[in-house]
Amino acid sequence: MAEVQCSLLVIIIDTNPVWWGQHFLQDNSQCDFFGCLDSILVFANSHLMMKHGNQLAIIASHTNQSYFLYPQGKIEEPCVSDPNSETTDENGTRALSDGRYELFTQVDEQITTQVKSLVLGSEEGQLYSDCVIAGSLAMALCFIHRMEKQMHLGEKMSSRILVIKGSEDNPAQYMNFMNTVFSAQKQNVVMDGCILGKDSGLLQQACDITGGTYLKLPTVTGLLQYLLCVFLPDPDVRHKLTLPARVQVDYRAACFCHRNLIDIGYVCSVCLSIFCSFSPICSTCQTTFKFLGPPKILKKKIKKTNV
Amino acid sequence: MAAKFSSRKLDCKDLYGYLRTLPPNILDKLYNHPATCLAVFRELPELAKHCVMRILFVEQAVPQAVVAHWVSSKYHEEHKLAMAALTDLRVWHEQPLPGGMLGFILNQTFRSNMKIALLGGGEPWTGGGPLPPDKHAKDAQFLDNYAQERWECVLYYMVGSSECVSRDIKGVLLHAGLMKAESEEATPTITPLGFQFLLMESSSQVWFFMLQYLDTLTTRGMDLVESLSFLFQLSFSIFGKDYATEGMSEAQLRLLQHLREFGLVYQRKRKSQRYYPTRLAINLASGLSQFSTMAAAAQKGFIVVETNYRLYAYTNSQLQIALIALFCEMLYRFPNMVVGNITRDSIHSALSCGITGDQIISYLKTHAHEQISLKNPVLPPTVTDQIHLWEMERDRFRFTDGVLYNQFLSQSDFELLRDYAKDLGVLVWDKPARRVMVVARKGHDEHIIYLSIYLYSN
Amino acid sequence: MEEVCVNAATKFTQWFSFCLHHRTANILKMAEDDDKLYRWETAYERTWEAIKEDEEGSLQASISEITHKAKRRRLLDRIGNVRLGMMRHVYLIIDMSSAMSDPDLKPSRLVTSVKLLENFVEEYFDQNPISQLGIILTRNKRAEKITELGGNPRRHIAALQNISKKPCQGEPSLQNSLDMAAQTLKHMPSHASREILIIFGSLTTCDPGDVLATIKMLKDNAIRCSVIGLSAEVRVCKKLSHDTQGDYNVILDEPHFKDLLNAHVSPPPASGNTESSLIRMGFPHHQQNVEKDKEERPSMCMCHLDDKATQNFSSGGYFCPQCRSKYCELPVECKSCALTLVSAPHLARSYHHLFPLPQFKEAPSSSVPNSESLFCYGCQISLKDKTIYTCTKCNQIFCIDCDLLAHETLHCCPGCASSRNTQQIGFIDSLT
Repeated sequence: MAEVQCSLLVIIIDTNPVWWGQHFLQDNSQCDFFGCLDSILVFANSHLMMKHGNQLAIIASHTNQSYFLYPQGKIEEPCVSDPNSETTDENGTRALSDGRYELFTQVDEQITTQVKSLVLGSEEGQLYSDCVIAGSLAMALCFIHRMEKQMHLGEKMSSRILVIKGSEDNPAQYMNFMNTVFSAQKQNVVMDGCILGKDSGLLQQACDITGGTYLKLPTVTGLLQYLLCVFLPDPDVRHKLTLPARVQVDYRAACFCHRNLIDIGYVCSVCLSIFCSFSPICSTCQTTFKFLGPPKILKKKIKKTNV
Repeated sequence: MAAKFSSRKLDCKDLYGYLRTLPPNILDKLYNHPATCLAVFRELPELAKHCVMRILFVEQAVPQAVVAHWVSSKYHEEHKLAMAALTDLRVWHEQPLPGGMLGFILNQTFRSNMKIALLGGGEPWTGGGPLPPDKHAKDAQFLDNYAQERWECVLYYMVGSSECVSRDIKGVLLHAGLMKAESEEATPTITPLGFQFLLMESSSQVWFFMLQYLDTLTTRGMDLVESLSFLFQLSFSIFGKDYATEGMSEAQLRLLQHLREFGLVYQRKRKSQRYYPTRLAINLASGLSQFSTMAAAAQKGFIVVETNYRLYAYTNSQLQIALIALFCEMLYRFPNMVVGNITRDSIHSALSCGITGDQIISYLKTHAHEQISLKNPVLPPTVTDQIHLWEMERDRFRFTDGVLYNQFLSQSDFELLRDYAKDLGVLVWDKPARRVMVVARKGHDEHIIYLSIYLYSN
Repeated sequence: MEEVCVNAATKFTQWFSFCLHHRTANILKMAEDDDKLYRWETAYERTWEAIKEDEEGSLQASISEITHKAKRRRLLDRIGNVRLGMMRHVYLIIDMSSAMSDPDLKPSRLVTSVKLLENFVEEYFDQNPISQLGIILTRNKRAEKITELGGNPRRHIAALQNISKKPCQGEPSLQNSLDMAAQTLKHMPSHASREILIIFGSLTTCDPGDVLATIKMLKDNAIRCSVIGLSAEVRVCKKLSHDTQGDYNVILDEPHFKDLLNAHVSPPPASGNTESSLIRMGFPHHQQNVEKDKEERPSMCMCHLDDKATQNFSSGGYFCPQCRSKYCELPVECKSCALTLVSAPHLARSYHHLFPLPQFKEAPSSSVPNSESLFCYGCQISLKDKTIYTCTKCNQIFCIDCDLLAHETLHCCPGCASSRNTQQIGFIDSLT
């Protein structure tokens, strides 16, 4: 009984309306959201096409919520080959209309309806320029955890997360984001990043820590080809292929007081907050500090000569 | 003797192996259907799949140098195999580029049908409009039971404990050499090959059976391409959904009736306007190289093997008991279970039927009782090791190709040549008293040269 | 002659009465500060009564409930909002006396301990990125330092793997090994948490002087000593750990041993008198070649200067922002300017200790409207269990698996993180 290798791909799509709207206006409709969504859907279906056992989940990361586009929560078992009982009739008519593999049609149908309901359902409120990516990652990890638990004997699943993101990083998410990254590392989940807009420092670190690929697209127009070339191969095949080299990741810390990147900083011994200059009270945990100056270094030197 | 054994082993090709045996014109015709393209694509080596995906949307030919550059130099060999597979299956072909270089371009029909499968467009796979909801809709459980029942019927027939099956099935079984009949009229009996067949997993069984079935198709005047396309189409359909028979050709309808008999599809009545593909059909294209998960889940294990070589099987199926009796000495029979001992004699008798130790072990593993299958390893290592040891007892012969040298003129000639052969490490056997020796085939050429020089100098 | 004998006898009686007095005093003291009784002194427990049959006579439901509760209890035990000693300096003292070759843990106590400790070291550095660890062995009445305090897990694991090849001999010496550890720990800066963790298999210790004096010294230096006993409770260990505010536990079996070790992975609450301070740290970034205008030149890294065997020339590395010395891995303390070099994710790794995710509220699923079609917010599974878990902050509903995952590995709530108002934890929270 050979072990079956299948892989679970969770795609997180950034659906921030502000970013997509701005881009649409700037580039003279060269990249509109639905064009990119189509590319992503083809890519998702290509992943399903690679192997019979491959599984898929797509999560939309909106400004104020994370939303499962596929599989829908209403389905009992999100096994890819299971029928969607609710929409069978509707699909039944659609599937026969052309020569496409039925499963792919189903995936597309579901995602487009879900996207519609997401866009229509999101309340008109304040607009933000970022999305709740950390929450979507956390949800993805929960989903992966569950799928791994549901596996049958003798099956093996490798899971990965692909983040397709255009909007900016939000420093407020730093802690949640890093927590999910370390959790992914522990669960052996690879995180890939495909950046449509500005470079994302957070995602760079995430990809580096979990051993994934980080790629900033020069243009959004060739999205599908980039996705197929770089992100379609599973991590265990990747070392065989020549893929873009790893980027140099900036691991410098940002101080909590001004959010500047710093080379040398001060760290609170109680709560590990990072500050760019010395202050007598920690702004995070309200600890008062004793001034530690040269004596500490002196002590160390003495110790060293002893040893 | 070994040669005889290996020829008697059941040769179950995967899809890739099978497709390679097909002539090019048939392959080209096969790619006319999106389903076959998908099936072929899934069976390609991993690297080849990525190559196809990368050039699927590139309309021009891609230079060979570029393709070679896609894979890091360490895996060059693997890449070469993958490229060869693509050429063999006529998925792509070479095309000269302007500038004198050679490039690869995807087979046009393959490309367009892959695109149809992935993106949509083209003709629908199955004819007929949408079906009204089925009054007698069937759920997954029913279909699984049905498929298993039908398929086991074929297997029962093989062990001789079942009513008769149709002539077509008989024909396929005879053709495959799984059963043999002394005369036209006599009831066929199972062959050693048949026993090996029975021990396989059901998905492999179905695949092997279908391959044999396809072989016999042409003799029945059915079109191979059409049947294959239909089979693949079935394997990509959605489980639990009904499909219309409307618009299917005469040949396809005939095929459908056969598949219905094997349990690959369910049709309520012969004239019924709809059919449901079962898991057996869906796993056809996917489960050959892999152990299909659905089938495993549907089938409950029932065998417990203890370290003292005792085997308990909680079953009352004639078929399973007959199978276990192949390699096990039966002790007791209860209404819901049988008890047996795995002994050296019982294993030997199984081995002499051509069943291998690995087959027995994998059978025991796949049918292990739920409680046992949670353990790691599933079977007690003492038992598996011992089965392997018993198997090795039979393999005491080693075969080496060799050339016999005899009729030496003198003892010294003989010794000279023998020592030379010994030095080269190619001497297999010698007997100085009769001045004969056997030299391995690869050493033979070197000896001839040496020998001729030696003789000329004299 | 007679005189001598009488003398000796009086001395003996004196000593004996002293001992007796000491012992009773001890016992009284113990009773005072230890109100929890030994197991055999407590009331008869009827453990089997906890298990009840359900209507169909099956025990499964009640067993799963018990395991379920046990899973959650581990989480509930954790306390948040306590100042923790985040910078830990831990000496691991491993008993290598003949008692450690006992085969009551398979294949022997030592082999089992080493196997579990390897795991422990890895986890320790994973959870405490800027902490240090050192290993001391004790056997033949001597103590032997096998690794200095350091932050490189690989070095410690290699050393651990080495010791399982050495023989277990003689008696251990608690005092010698404690003294050796204290000698280094004493000089550690005051904001660091100083700890000693002892794996003790023997029932005896052979010390050159008064071990109680050493314990007092440890207490004065605020060194927290914890002991994991492998055979039975030993008085001196109990006193040691009690006086220094450590934990003392005796293992029941191998899984329990593992649990006990794991309990030492998360940082302990800071003891009262540790001072807090701001520590200067460097955050170097990885550079491929030093300067762009110069040609690429390989250089030596500081961490491998000492071992001659390895090739340590390379062009890339981490460069200390203060003195430009090169290191091939982080975290490390710069050898030339004593600046601690870390990377930001290293610090981020331990933030979850400071801001633990609050417990989810456990409730029966019937308490929520349309309880038939509930879905876990995290993994989208339909909730069929009788109990559901609700995050008190974002009011999303979770299944037991996601609850455990969120608290044990993820350390954040998928619901809170997916909502704009609740996505921020920790720092800003504490400010507002």
